[in-house]
Amino acid sequence: MHFRFASRWTAILIATAVTLLAVGAYLSLPRSYILMATTTSTRDTGLLPYLLPRFTADTGIDVRYIAVGTGQALDAGRRGDADVVMVHAPSLEARFLADGDGLCRNEVMYNRFVVVGPAADPADVRDAQSAAGAFQRIHNASARFESRADTSGTHNKELQLWAAAGLDTSAFGAWYEKTEQGMGATLTIANERDAYTLSDDGTWYALEGNLPYLRILYRSGEPVEPVLRNQYSVIPVNPAAHSAVLAEEAVAFARWLVSPRGQSLIGAFTVNGHAIFTPNGAGAC
Amino acid sequence: MAGDIFSIALLSLFVSATSTLLATLIAVPLGVTLGLREFGSQRLLRNILFTLYGLPPVLAGLLVFLLLSRSGPLGALGLLFTPVGMVIAQVVVVTPIILGITMSVVATMERRVKETAFVLGADRRQLSVTVLREAVAGILTAVMVGFGRAVGEVGAVFVVGGHIEGKTQVLTTSIITDIQQADYGHAVALGVILLVIAALVYSLLYRLQEKTLP
Amino acid sequence: MTMSVDLMGIEKGFDGRPVLQGVDLRVEPGEVFALVGPSGVGKTTLLRCIDFLLRPDRGTIRYDGKEAPSDTSGQLALRRRIGMVAQNPFLFRGSAFYNVSYGLCVRDVGGPALEERTNAALDTVGLRDLSQAPVSRLSAGEAQRVAFARAIVVGPELLLLDEFTANLDPANVAQLEKAIGAYHRQTDATVLIVTHNLFQAKRVSRRAGLVLGGKIVEVDTADRFFSNPTDERTRAFVRGEMPY
Repeated sequence: MHFRFASRWTAILIATAVTLLAVGAYLSLPRSYILMATTTSTRDTGLLPYLLPRFTADTGIDVRYIAVGTGQALDAGRRGDADVVMVHAPSLEARFLADGDGLCRNEVMYNRFVVVGPAADPADVRDAQSAAGAFQRIHNASARFESRADTSGTHNKELQLWAAAGLDTSAFGAWYEKTEQGMGATLTIANERDAYTLSDDGTWYALEGNLPYLRILYRSGEPVEPVLRNQYSVIPVNPAAHSAVLAEEAVAFARWLVSPRGQSLIGAFTVNGHAIFTPNGAGAC
Repeated sequence: MAGDIFSIALLSLFVSATSTLLATLIAVPLGVTLGLREFGSQRLLRNILFTLYGLPPVLAGLLVFLLLSRSGPLGALGLLFTPVGMVIAQVVVVTPIILGITMSVVATMERRVKETAFVLGADRRQLSVTVLREAVAGILTAVMVGFGRAVGEVGAVFVVGGHIEGKTQVLTTSIITDIQQADYGHAVALGVILLVIAALVYSLLYRLQEKTLP
Repeated sequence: MTMSVDLMGIEKGFDGRPVLQGVDLRVEPGEVFALVGPSGVGKTTLLRCIDFLLRPDRGTIRYDGKEAPSDTSGQLALRRRIGMVAQNPFLFRGSAFYNVSYGLCVRDVGGPALEERTNAALDTVGLRDLSQAPVSRLSAGEAQRVAFARAIVVGPELLLLDEFTANLDPANVAQLEKAIGAYHRQTDATVLIVTHNLFQAKRVSRRAGLVLGGKIVEVDTADRFFSNPTDERTRAFVRGEMPY
């Protein structure tokens, strides 16, 4: 009697577990969508919820994405955990392709990097004549600066600018802080600490409302200073290493993004009234 | 914030409840068996277990990630970035907790319980079941602690789940991304929902536990 | 069915402190034997050795002339023919009925047979109407009666009772002694009762033995043991002149 009671309870629990696992398996069924690995910056601009459903409507292909750091996004492609990668780090992308991890590469669009900082502008960045000059002024004033320090495209750009100003970041003092996080988090920290930082304008305009103590203090004029271009590219993952990768659909996505349809949608996209992306689709996919 | 709050909350509950249930099915029989063993062999096991208490969920998540990645040994299953993958990660996190508490409860159980069952003619299996029955109040506490860990942790489910809209977004990962995007009000609201869910589950388990007290 | 018990040269110590130092005792099948002696002398240890809760350091125990089997199932079968009631018994959580029927469940008895036998055992101790009561609501006397019913419901051939009425009031003691007598008459089981209550020992037993200094000092019929024992230590003990 007693032991049958125990067996009954065990049976109930096991049956429940099996049922839940069956539900889980159903939810986890072999993917009917292509998985894109992209960066937090891409997510923070809000472009994806606008663009992806239109792609699905046009082609019937469902796209989902994980938004992680640039390094992790490319690694997901390398591991075969994603079908397509969209990042904005040209040098890292080149290596990705050279290693044979990517099938092909399409440049899609760019937005701009801007220097943001405290409204009071202690380093006088407003009067800078170039991006490198702005960085020089920040260094000379030892004004607090937040670096993303996370091997992202933005971080790479920041290091490029320090180098262009002839400065060695390893010699910087305590005013140079490393957040090792995404753009949104870094902007939040800069806002709290009255610091300067380099941001892409997409993320900036998306989060501007929550960053009351910051302003754009340096932006490029027209035509855009090449060094301040934030170039986004899409790279379908090479199925040679991972056969489960949905290469065909990924390439269709890459092509759609640079098609007239995709490009016009991108150009029409605004963040809080600002059209931040300049479509410049081109590439071999 | 993208994503339907209802389905996010539902997935949180599903993942945490499923992983706690699986962890219980693994940890309780094991904990009773190990708790009944003599003391000598227990010390090494205890040390390992207590170290696992301190296992950061995010590290467990990383290990499961490496396991389930297509480049990893279990890649063919295609479970990375899926709810089942998240359940697996949380089972890794929660099992040591339930196991450790169950072992403690059983080992510190009055010697008289085991002796009484023994003297009344119980064989090893029957004795284990009897001890489990007498310990059930303590075991339910273990389950509650385990569930708390599962529903509130963010590291493992983020790394293994990927916070994919419509697929693997749960309350805790949504709170993190809200904070990253400075949407604090929404983050707090999600946090309150999480607490409500936890409270409901706890009141259920507590009601069950009350019934088992002598 | 009944059983004899032979203890030969039993020695048992704890942490270097010797308790049993060579106990020799024969308990005849079907008899009620009282084991008396001062507190701490090892009477409980002896019972625990007989029921496999402790293993003696030296010596052998024979059940019906045979040593305990070495294999687990053989030992289990033998153990299931022995019953024991301790001084402060542990009752499982649940009702009195659950506790009393436990031994039957363990032996795979179910259905109407289980109910019948459990109720019969409860009747023996006069607790039929409390069968559904949760054990937390039972008084000490009722709890002890439940423990007794729990032990005898499976019909042990050897019943070990360890000072099991020590904390009870006279009414409960009387009831339990009656229950022992009833059980013994029904089944002819061997009963080994450890008690420090000399009057109880005289009431229920046929033979008695004194444990002193880790050994059995004297064994005799109850009449002679309590009125005119041979050994002067026994004499001092039954007269209450031995310090506890």
